[in-house]
Amino acid sequence: MDSATGYLTTTVDAVVNWARSNSLMPMPMGLACCAIEMMAFGGPKYDVGRFGSEAMRFSPRQADLMIVAGWCSYKMAHAIRRVWDQMADPKWCIAMGACASSGGMHRCYGVVQGIDNFMPVDVYIPGCPPRPEAVIHALMDVQEKVRNEYSVAKDYASGPKKSAVESMNLGILTSDGRTTVGGV
Amino acid sequence: MPDSLNFHFTPVDKARPDEQNAHAKASTDVTDVIKAIQERFPEAVTEVVVYAGEHTVFIAGEVFLNVCTALKEELGFTYLVDLAGVDRFQEDAPRYEVYYCFVNLQAGKRLRIKVRVEEDDAVLPSITGLFKAADWNERECFDMLGIRFEGHPDLRRMFMPEDFTYHPQRKEFPLLGIPGSLPLPPRTPEGELTMDPFAAARSGSPAKSYQEPAENDEN
Ligand code: SF4
Repeated sequence: MDSATGYLTTTVDAVVNWARSNSLMPMPMGLACCAIEMMAFGGPKYDVGRFGSEAMRFSPRQADLMIVAGWCSYKMAHAIRRVWDQMADPKWCIAMGACASSGGMHRCYGVVQGIDNFMPVDVYIPGCPPRPEAVIHALMDVQEKVRNEYSVAKDYASGPKKSAVESMNLGILTSDGRTTVGGV
Repeated sequence: MPDSLNFHFTPVDKARPDEQNAHAKASTDVTDVIKAIQERFPEAVTEVVVYAGEHTVFIAGEVFLNVCTALKEELGFTYLVDLAGVDRFQEDAPRYEVYYCFVNLQAGKRLRIKVRVEEDDAVLPSITGLFKAADWNERECFDMLGIRFEGHPDLRRMFMPEDFTYHPQRKEFPLLGIPGSLPLPPRTPEGELTMDPFAAARSGSPAKSYQEPAENDEN
């Protein structure tokens, strides 16, 4: 048996995280002007399909990444929270733009001063509106966060932060034993 | 003044007589309509303001509905473009005014009507019976300024939650709102989601989503 054939070994966490991070399905919560940039982010020019997130899911049950794009009124907050609660775990949230992050220029009675007042946020994007590149960057930040999550392993807390390649923990198992690949 | 302090700025246009005013348009000159209204309702027109060839007609609230009926049925103003309220707090009395923009599509004429509303008795007749388009605008006006439109089929709040008790576009309403008057969803996943913003539409009564202090709270 030569070393070109054999088994690829990895950990369950790594495979699960790899699959999750490369197929994040956004729930587009477009509330205002930022939603237009979110459309550009999903469109052909910026093509978020390269990152596996081109399938916007308008049903919360099929989505795992909520992008809150735009300012959120107090009345809308209840609807957003309901949609968020209906999304299946694990789920992540991006607060897109100054308004979703902090209320932005809408410092007034009707607008919630940051959606983190009523729901958890993973990544904030500054800008008014942020460019689609910034949204892609935020998506990549979420992906990195997903890759560093432990869903099967018991000892959550331990371990330094790993790069994408490191976290895959790839190895090749041959008759001679296991060699790790990927420059670790 | 030293030259370094000599600012260059765009001069403000001086007021010009209407014949020379480039902004004056024939469509907004409605002298005949005003005359017709004055003939039919001698007491109706309280004031006419002309600026840049645009006539703004102030109508007394008591005859307002009759004037609108005449405008629609006799004078051909069949199209209501816009309707909204204004708060002229401490600037003018009576405090509120509601403006209506009508268009006569056949004659190509535009008419702006204003009605003054007293603060203590902020009631106007609704014109939804004449112009369906007034429905949501009157609801918005009610929501924002608290002017009630008598005869409106469904005078609910337009934008704010139904159990909200203030009128945010009144000048005395603080810009940042009144703390606690607009509840947020619970911060924790366990908290109960209670608010139904459309309770009245489902013919229920909106539950208070926040706690009011007790009536004779001494503290
Ligand atoms: S951040 Fe700017 S672009 Fe985005 S919703 Fe707010 S005002 Fe609109």
